[in-house]
Amino acid sequence: MNSVGGRASEKPASVASRLGSMHLDKASLIQGIAVVAVVIFAVSTPGFLSTTSIRSLLTTVSFVGCVAVGMTFITLSGNIMSFSIGASMSATTIVFMASIALGLIPALILAFLFCAALNGIQGWLIGFFRANPLIISMAAYSMIIGSAVYITGGRGVYPLTNKADILTANLGPIPGPLAAFLFVAIAGQLILSFTRLGRNIYLVGTSPRAAKAAGIEPWRTVLWAYVAAGLCTAASAVLVAARYRSGDMEHGIGYEYHAISAVLVGGTSIRGGEGSVLRTLVGTVFIALMQGLLILRGFGIELQYLLIGLIVLAAIMLQWKVRT
Amino acid sequence: MTRFLSAFFANRTARPFGVLVLIVVVLGIADDGHDRVLTMSTAYNVLQQFATIGPVALALGLSMMVGEFDLSVGGILSLAGCVAVITGSSSPVAGLLLAAAVGAFCGLAQGTIMTWLNLSSIGVTLGGLLTFGGLSYFLTGNTTIGYDRLDVALGVNAPLLGIFSIRSLTAIVLFLVATLVVSWTRFGRDLLAVGSDRRAATIVGIRVSRILIAVFVISGLLTAIGGGLLSYGLAAASPTALADTLVPGAAAAILGGVSLSGGKGRPIGIAGGVLVLSMLRSGLTAIGVPPFAHWIVTAAVLFAVAILDSEELSRRVYSFCRAVGRRSDVHPPNGSSILFRQRADH
Repeated sequence: MNSVGGRASEKPASVASRLGSMHLDKASLIQGIAVVAVVIFAVSTPGFLSTTSIRSLLTTVSFVGCVAVGMTFITLSGNIMSFSIGASMSATTIVFMASIALGLIPALILAFLFCAALNGIQGWLIGFFRANPLIISMAAYSMIIGSAVYITGGRGVYPLTNKADILTANLGPIPGPLAAFLFVAIAGQLILSFTRLGRNIYLVGTSPRAAKAAGIEPWRTVLWAYVAAGLCTAASAVLVAARYRSGDMEHGIGYEYHAISAVLVGGTSIRGGEGSVLRTLVGTVFIALMQGLLILRGFGIELQYLLIGLIVLAAIMLQWKVRT
Repeated sequence: MTRFLSAFFANRTARPFGVLVLIVVVLGIADDGHDRVLTMSTAYNVLQQFATIGPVALALGLSMMVGEFDLSVGGILSLAGCVAVITGSSSPVAGLLLAAAVGAFCGLAQGTIMTWLNLSSIGVTLGGLLTFGGLSYFLTGNTTIGYDRLDVALGVNAPLLGIFSIRSLTAIVLFLVATLVVSWTRFGRDLLAVGSDRRAATIVGIRVSRILIAVFVISGLLTAIGGGLLSYGLAAASPTALADTLVPGAAAAILGGVSLSGGKGRPIGIAGGVLVLSMLRSGLTAIGVPPFAHWIVTAAVLFAVAILDSEELSRRVYSFCRAVGRRSDVHPPNGSSILFRQRADH
């Protein structure tokens, strides 16, 4: 067993080893080589180092990145992935934009509460009854889509205010969404590395039975992992809503797949209990770099999808070959 | 009578058909004498839905019966549709055969990877889902490709004998073949044995890897046939159009009595599950309920089955009843200990 991502060891863990996703094993080495290769390729691509291209890349990264951080919590807690996270993100953009007339702060609070509750309910069902996480999230996906069409009539929400525009502003030289993403990622990693919840997530993800034997109620941990995922998703939802000045069920389509791709490419184990938010950060940036490069080199979006699929497949094969 | 009913509902394969009868009765009452439910056109619509969801549900169901989960069906469905439409303009049969071959090859590749590297099916098929989806984007160039053989498009959906069509007959034949294979061949028996207890299956000499690879090849093949015919019927192939079949497929399979932990379920039960879902969808549309109800009904079905099939339900209900204080009425659940034992096997 390697000690990626804060596994319990007999020595008290130092700060470095708690944060330690940089642990060297064969898989990390191959990932490192891939990252370096892509960076070299990027720098040698004409136009890549221009400010506009980097800024647009970093802004797009942020939207997917927040959701991917949330998905990391779900994957780490041993529940593979959530199919409903894109739909709950779309629904949150609608809630945010529908309540923006109340003012920015109340709308933000409502959006975060709504998305946390939406995912928290799923987390409770999955944790408390040990129901299958894939089926529960598929059910939630159907429920969210159906209810949203019922409530909104299938139309988006386009408020005539600019109260949310502050979310798209820049924080000094850093684009606002990127700052938010970095904040979400750092907060996520700190929770995983330094709190009881984080430690319990690793333990429950590794073995719920062992966690139970150690006196942890696995369902509480799973519930909070899903709430954390909901909060991260809400962050992405408000950023996207502010960017497009609308709330629409179209906004989050496909985010669940982008997010799980980033998580797996980063090297977090799909079995749970192994990985970190830092790894997800690397995975997100890696995928975004590939996409940006393909566009700059004149390839269409269709090649991106194929390449991401192959990279995810390779990442999965990589992490498992090391184990067996 | 009660004994007969309880035996009927304890049988996982018969249960969906009981539910089906119940739904027809309820829809008939809700119809309020307008004759909109029990008509030829509803039957035709139900069978058309059956043809769309059925092959995917059967593919998913077979993978669940062997104790795995094939997430890649959505990707293979799109890919097969694109292959069939692109190559099938001169000879539709050749296009469909090519699509089926591609689907089988996708299954073969995934099955080989997961047995060779000892990987979980969910991980590999998630990668497969994204890869095959990406491949269909690549083949179509991210647009919708029209199918120039309108005669074929109309032909596969044209009503035969009032309620059938080539598409629905194909789906029915696929189910019949699957039923025969699972019930009466050595392969079928081995499949259920591997799904019930993989270690025991290895000990009695079943080649588990071969069975797993074969199941994923069959899953790819079934999905591809369904996807090819569906795209012919729509006269178009698009990388995104068919993405929403995974959820109803999974709902139909588990409604049909397939257990997520493997070893339980029969193709005929899956057919019942698909019919229940199709009947609900077509029936609700027939009595004038707007289409979003499909989603909510599917969600309700999935929630109900996921919770009823969950590992700790009986324990939670038991401790809840104890907390409420009706100790004398409740016996300790025998089921929970079995469930725990199952868990330990995995």
